[in-house]
Amino acid sequence: MTTYIFRRIIQTVLLLIVLSYVCFNLMTLMPGDPIELMISSNPKITTEDVARLREFYGLDQPTYVRYKNWISTLLEGDLGYSRTYRIPVAEMIGPALKYTFILSMCSLILSLAIAIPLGIYCALRPNSKFDYIVNLLSFAGISAPSFWLGIVLIIVFSVKLGWLPAGGYQTTGLVYDNIFSEILDKAKYLILPVVSLSIQSIGRFSRFARSAMMEAMRNDYIRTARAKGLSENIVIWNHGFRNALIPLITIVTLSLSSVFSGALITETLFAYPGAGRLIYTSIISNDFNVAMVSFIISISMVLVMSLIADLLYGVADPRISYE
Amino acid sequence: MSENTPPTSHSTTTSPETSQLKIAEMEKAQSFSQIVFSQFKENKAALFGAFTIIFFVFVALGAPIIEWALGVDANTQNVFNRYKPPFSHIQASQDVREKEIENFIRRHPDAAEKIQTQLIAQNHVQPIRPEDALYEWINLESDKAIEIIEEIDTPFKNELINKVKNFNSYHIFGTDELGRDVLMRLVYGTQVSMGVGVLVALVSAFIGLLVGSMAGYYGGFIDTVLMRTTDALLSLPLLPVLVVIAAIDLQKIPFLNVITQYGNESIIKLVFILCLFSWMVVARLVRGSILSLREREFILAAKTLGATDFTIIVRHMFPNVIAPLLVAVTLGVGESILFEAALSFLGLGIQPPTPSWGNMLFNALELIYEAPFLAIIPGLLILLVVVSFNFLGDGLQDAIDPKSVKR
Repeated sequence: MTTYIFRRIIQTVLLLIVLSYVCFNLMTLMPGDPIELMISSNPKITTEDVARLREFYGLDQPTYVRYKNWISTLLEGDLGYSRTYRIPVAEMIGPALKYTFILSMCSLILSLAIAIPLGIYCALRPNSKFDYIVNLLSFAGISAPSFWLGIVLIIVFSVKLGWLPAGGYQTTGLVYDNIFSEILDKAKYLILPVVSLSIQSIGRFSRFARSAMMEAMRNDYIRTARAKGLSENIVIWNHGFRNALIPLITIVTLSLSSVFSGALITETLFAYPGAGRLIYTSIISNDFNVAMVSFIISISMVLVMSLIADLLYGVADPRISYE
Repeated sequence: MSENTPPTSHSTTTSPETSQLKIAEMEKAQSFSQIVFSQFKENKAALFGAFTIIFFVFVALGAPIIEWALGVDANTQNVFNRYKPPFSHIQASQDVREKEIENFIRRHPDAAEKIQTQLIAQNHVQPIRPEDALYEWINLESDKAIEIIEEIDTPFKNELINKVKNFNSYHIFGTDELGRDVLMRLVYGTQVSMGVGVLVALVSAFIGLLVGSMAGYYGGFIDTVLMRTTDALLSLPLLPVLVVIAAIDLQKIPFLNVITQYGNESIIKLVFILCLFSWMVVARLVRGSILSLREREFILAAKTLGATDFTIIVRHMFPNVIAPLLVAVTLGVGESILFEAALSFLGLGIQPPTPSWGNMLFNALELIYEAPFLAIIPGLLILLVVVSFNFLGDGLQDAIDPKSVKR
C-alpha cells in the first residue's frame, strides 16, 4: 500500500514536471510575443529599448533557462503577476478555484441524486417502457454538446421567459443584507450552468448505475436470498445495491477528480468566473503567466484528486489489492 | 443455433414440413458476421443510428449536388439580408445586380445600347443619364423587370431574364450574420464535421492499434513505458489541454509551418491535435485483447511454425481485435465530432470562412436574442449525429458481445 502510494506520487510529480515543461514551450509558440505587445502600445520605442526589455524580462535566454527560473520562483510561492489585470495571479486563481468547486460540486450532487435512483429503477425493470425511454434520454444527454445545451437554456429561460440571468455569478452592485439573501442571489446564477453541466453526467451516471445494479442482481447470492424467502426490499437494498455501490463509487471518485479543473465551456458560456474560464480567457488574451499557473494548478488538482480517488476505491472494496 | 427465427416460433405449433425446414435452417452454421448482423437488426435504436449516419454521409458527399439543386451557395455574402428567418425569399443586393449589368454592358456594348434606347423610348424607366437605363431596370421588382424585358426586342432576352431570376433566392433555414445561406453552410459543415470526426477516429484507432499491440505483445519495458504514457495522458483533463495546444501558432514551429501554405490549415491542425489525445482508449483495449490472445494455442502454433512477430500480430491477432476495435472507432467518431465542435465553438478549432457546426454555433452567439434559430439548428445536428454514432456503437457492442447473444 505505501509503496503503491509512493509510486503514484512519484508518477504524478514526474507527469507534472513534463507537462509544465511542454506547456511552457507551447506558450512560447502562441501568437503574440509579450515584448511585441509592449512595443505596439508605444510607438517611440527604439531597438535598444527592445533589447533591454528582453534582457530585463529574461526573454533573450533559451526556453529551458526561462523554465528553470519560472519554476523556481513558483516553488518559492511567488505565482507572478497578470499582465492584463496587473494583480498577483494568486488573487485570481484562488477565487476561481472556489467558484469552480462550488459549480462542479452542485452539479455532481444533483446528477447523482437524479441518476442513481433512475438507474436502479431501470435495472429492476429491464426492457420496460420506462427503461427504454430513460435509455434513450441518457443517450441524448451524453451526446448533447454541453455548450449547445447551455445556449438552449439561455434562449428559453433568459431570453424568452426572462426567469433567470444569462450569465455571471452575482448581481453586480447589489449589497447583501444578510448571508441568506447572498446565497439566494448567487444560487439564481448557478441554476442554468449547473443544469447544463448535469444533463450530460446524469446520462452517463444513470447508464452506469443501471448496468452496475443489473450486474449485481444477476449474482447467485441474490437467488439464494430470494430462495430463503427474504423480502424483495431487503434483497434489493441489502444484497443488490450494496454490491452495485462498488463500481458506482469508482465513477463518482473519478468525477470528483475534475471538480477543480472546471467546466471550461460551460463557465465560458455563462461568464462564470471559474478556473476553466480563467484558463481560456488568459490564453485568448495572451496573459501567459496566468494561463500557465492556472493550467498547472488545475491539472495538479486533478491528478491529486484522482490519486485520492484511487485510494478511496481501495477502502470501498477490500478485494482490491495494491501490489 | 439460428437468429433468423423469431422467438414466437418456438411456441406456435406448425405443420411437420415447416418445422422440418425450421430445424434445418436452425442447424445451418452461421458465420460471425451473420450472427452480428442479425443481432444488430433487432436493435431499433442502432438501426436508426445507422440510417441517420448514412443520410448524413450522403449529404456530405452530395454537397455540390445540393448546392446546384438549390441554386444558392455557402459563401455568397449579402449584408442587406442578415439574420433572415427560415423560409424567406431574398433579393440580391443592389451592388450585386449592378455588377452583373456592368459585366453585361462590357461584354455586349452594342446590344446594351440598343436595349437602353428601347427602354427609354418605351418609357419604362426615366434615368437622368441615358447610360443608366439598364441599371435602373435591373433594380425594379423582378416580376416587373421580366415583364418589361419581354417587350423589348433583343437577342439577349433570355440571358437577362435568367439574370433577374437568379437575383431571387430562397433560404429554407434563413441567412446568417453575413447573409449567407444557413442550409448550404450546414451542408458544407456536415462535410467538415463528419470528415474531421471520421478521420480522427480512424487515425487514432491506427495509433492505438500500434501502441496497444506493441505493448501487449512485447510486454516488459516497452509495455511499462507505453502504458504509463497512456495512463498519464488519460488522467489529464482533456478540454483545458486541448485548448492550450489548439492556441499555438503553427507559424512559429519550424517543421510544421509548411502546413500553413495549403489553405485549410485549421482543419489539419485540429485533426492532428485531436488524434494526439484520442488514441489511448483504443490502445488499452487492444493491449488487453492481445495480452489474452498471446497465451492462446494458435499463437503458439504460429510461433512454432516460425512466423515472424509481424505476421503473428497482423495476420493472427488483428482479426480477433477487429470487432471491439470497430465499436471503439464508432464511439470515437461521436466523441471527436463533439470535441471538434467544442474547440470550434471556443474559436480555436476550424476557422471561418470554412463552415463547421461548431463555429456556426460560435457565430450565432452574437445575436442570440434576435436569431435564436441560428444557434439551435447546428446544435441539433451535432446532437443527432453524435447520438446516432453512440447508438450504432452501442448496438454493435451488444451484437458482437457473445454474452448478450440471444439464442
